[in-house]
Amino acid sequence: MISRKTLRAAAAVLTVGTLTLTACSSGGGGGSKSSDAKGGKLSDQAQVSVGTAADSQGPAKAVEGAKAGGTVKDIERDDFEHLDPAQVYTNTGSNFSQLITRGLTGYKQEGSKVTLVGDLATDAGKPSDGGKTWTFTLKDGVKWENGEAITSADVKHSIERTFAPFITQGASYVQQWLTDQDYRKAYEGPYGGKHLDNVIAQDPKTIVFKFDKPHADFNYAMAMTTYAVVSEKGDTKEEYDKKPLSSGPYKIVDRVTDKTLTLERNTNWDAKTDPIRNAYPDKWNFEFGFQAIPATDKLIAADKGEDQTTMSFYASTAGDRLQKVLGDASLKDRLVKGNSPYADYYWINNKRITNQKVREALIQAWPLQQIRQTEGGPDTGDYSRSLLNPTVAGFQETDVWGKIAKPEGDPDKAKALLKEAGAENQKIVYAYNNTPKQQQISVVIESALKKAGFDVVIKPIDTKTWYDEISKVDKEIDVFWGGWGADWPTGATVLPVLFDGRTIADGSQNYSNFNDPEINAEIDRIMALSDSAEQNKAWGALDKKILEKAPAIPGITNKFYILHGSKIGGAEYDPLGQIISPNKVFLKP
Amino acid sequence: MFRFLVRRMLGAGAILLIISAITFCLFYAVPADPARSFCGKICSPTDLETVRTNLGMNEALPLQYWHWFVALFVGRTYPAWGDCAAPCLGYSFTNHEPVLATILDRFPTTISLTLGAAVVFLVLGVGAGMLAAHKQGSLLDKSASAISLTFSSMQIYFIGTLAMYFLVRQTGLLPEPHDGSITQDPAAWFSGLLLPWIVLALIFTANYTRMTRSSMIEQLSEDHVRTARAKGMPGRTVFLRYAWRGSLGQIITILGIDLGSLLGGAIITETTFNLHGIGRLSIDAVVDNDLPMLMAVVVVAAGLIVLFNIIVDAAYALIDPRIRLA
Repeated sequence: MISRKTLRAAAAVLTVGTLTLTACSSGGGGGSKSSDAKGGKLSDQAQVSVGTAADSQGPAKAVEGAKAGGTVKDIERDDFEHLDPAQVYTNTGSNFSQLITRGLTGYKQEGSKVTLVGDLATDAGKPSDGGKTWTFTLKDGVKWENGEAITSADVKHSIERTFAPFITQGASYVQQWLTDQDYRKAYEGPYGGKHLDNVIAQDPKTIVFKFDKPHADFNYAMAMTTYAVVSEKGDTKEEYDKKPLSSGPYKIVDRVTDKTLTLERNTNWDAKTDPIRNAYPDKWNFEFGFQAIPATDKLIAADKGEDQTTMSFYASTAGDRLQKVLGDASLKDRLVKGNSPYADYYWINNKRITNQKVREALIQAWPLQQIRQTEGGPDTGDYSRSLLNPTVAGFQETDVWGKIAKPEGDPDKAKALLKEAGAENQKIVYAYNNTPKQQQISVVIESALKKAGFDVVIKPIDTKTWYDEISKVDKEIDVFWGGWGADWPTGATVLPVLFDGRTIADGSQNYSNFNDPEINAEIDRIMALSDSAEQNKAWGALDKKILEKAPAIPGITNKFYILHGSKIGGAEYDPLGQIISPNKVFLKP
Repeated sequence: MFRFLVRRMLGAGAILLIISAITFCLFYAVPADPARSFCGKICSPTDLETVRTNLGMNEALPLQYWHWFVALFVGRTYPAWGDCAAPCLGYSFTNHEPVLATILDRFPTTISLTLGAAVVFLVLGVGAGMLAAHKQGSLLDKSASAISLTFSSMQIYFIGTLAMYFLVRQTGLLPEPHDGSITQDPAAWFSGLLLPWIVLALIFTANYTRMTRSSMIEQLSEDHVRTARAKGMPGRTVFLRYAWRGSLGQIITILGIDLGSLLGGAIITETTFNLHGIGRLSIDAVVDNDLPMLMAVVVVAAGLIVLFNIIVDAAYALIDPRIRLA
């Protein structure tokens, strides 16, 4: 779940060479592992599976040594952009929403094992009719903060209001699937008295969704915060973004936008209904405005007073402090680390570089090792193995072009490929986001490409216009960096978005202008599959097939490091959001 | 005086109008499209159009400016946020709240920071400058000059960061800077601003010391001061009545400019100490491409500088009878 803003933030973090994520936290670990000769071991990665009704039962498994009570202080750079769940589409906003919002489904994390379970629903959903119909049953005892029961009418209303014109920043998958056309033209939301016929509140506890096409991972989509429940009676439309009604373990008691936010217990939340959240603290105090270095310094020093009970969801260790933090053994117990769930690419503009041999030459010449060194060395990340991130279900480690074995690049092979293509001294315009770190990286890339026989032109682009520029179809650039995060951990929100040639348009995310009829047809075939396991396997295979056509160069999967106060326990890394989950946090005595 | 003030106020209004128009054109001419940031990750042309309508950005630039200007007097209604009462400075693209409300929320922090620091640097700076002038050539004078030269060469981001590291993080001698309300919790307000006041005072005191010293030495060498001394007027009276009063004009001039700038946005100070004032707001607005907020901050900052210029001119007239206001 990542928005353009978050991607920009991720790009900025990449820029300062700090980031990453893994499946292991202070106490976590596990997942799939692999190794390579020169790239170092691929850090532990989480994989996601769909749970059963039993997995969906609350309460959440107790954390060893955890006790309820106390106040946690959380410091962040920015306030959470939205509180209305329908408007939430960032990893930071979604993470915070865990505290006050619940949806039909959600992710239960136990170490590196992540399971899609029923949150308000008794299970992760029942598909029928070949994936065209999905049925969810609400649990007993789920209530709003005012004590009223959460009903299927609330769920129906929550989905319908995502069509309203004032909701512009959330996800739009489900709206699109329900209408199968431009959803904004198809339906204006429930406020004028019109309702969707294919979202059926069958009885107070049963909600049914009917689609014209199969959607095998609809239950994953329903785990997005955008589709969390909003009270029909308590809906205040635009105002809901300021004061939402809580369905989660906490409620908002005070907020000064961009400065402070205070949460206290929602006494109508019943732990027995919730398999995801332990919700140990009595109170959360958020303070905003902390920049990377001051936040890191505060957390490094967090072993006395109020700082002991201070943490951050996403204030990753500033690049300038990373080696100090990694080299200080006394900080080890307070350091959470993880691998980024976001995929990292260097896009090749397939509209300008039409000869595949030239694209292959670029891939062979690409100096991944030197780039990583410029970003801060092996501690900053692993070399990407494919187009899909390892956290995506169905991920298959591929390394089609042997980059893991030779991350420093192979200029001789690149030269040979250029000769074969009849494109010796090929001109390449490399564009970069004009930040100090990217300036350094551009020098490394320029040097490597020249060595491989390319005629290189380096083009800086202003940070503010970066995404506008790279999302144009007719851009006068050949290679450029880009990141992408899956909205839920299957290939459905990665490969079709980035590589379906029919989506090419200004502003589209097919940044590389890649259009291959064979791939387009395969995307259609996979999307129509009703079995999610089969679908995930097919996405993994398609990843390799696309890579073989050389539309992009997989980059570095960055690592994420974050400190917390000495009395914070249960600070677990969320491998799907690149963030510290609040669900198991507790205060040590 | 009244005519003078009216004339200056009208001039100030015209200046602000020109500044706002130029700022509007400059900021909206940036090729980055804020509507794209507002649109979802996968944004269709219809979505983009909806967002542009919600933000009031689907009209020609002159029309957008006209709506912005008119809203100052009659308010405006936004599809995504509802009514914005006059004087409406728009809605923030980032926090989705009325810009005016945010500015009013941030202003007390900036006022507290500025006025508190001003008290410290005026008392210390002017006092040290007077002493140095009085003891011209002494060790005290030389020390004051050396210290003032040293601190006036330093920057807030340097001293502030060092002070934070040693006085707050390492030793805990001073409390962590934070926003506070003087009416709700005076002690917390004072402790939260203590370090920023000290750091600001270190830098500004030096300027006032040097300026007061040189100005008073200059005044002491004036003919009328020599005459007063020759007539047997006591040295203390000469020092305070003539030299000090003669220097006051310069002090007020500099103070007016400093207060206007600090109130308009102590950007680095507020960022260094994580204070949520107007300066910090302007930086956040630039980073977030929050054009309505940026417009408002620029206009407010410019307004404050213009206002303090008027105050300085008026104060001149009160202090120095030689100045005539036409």
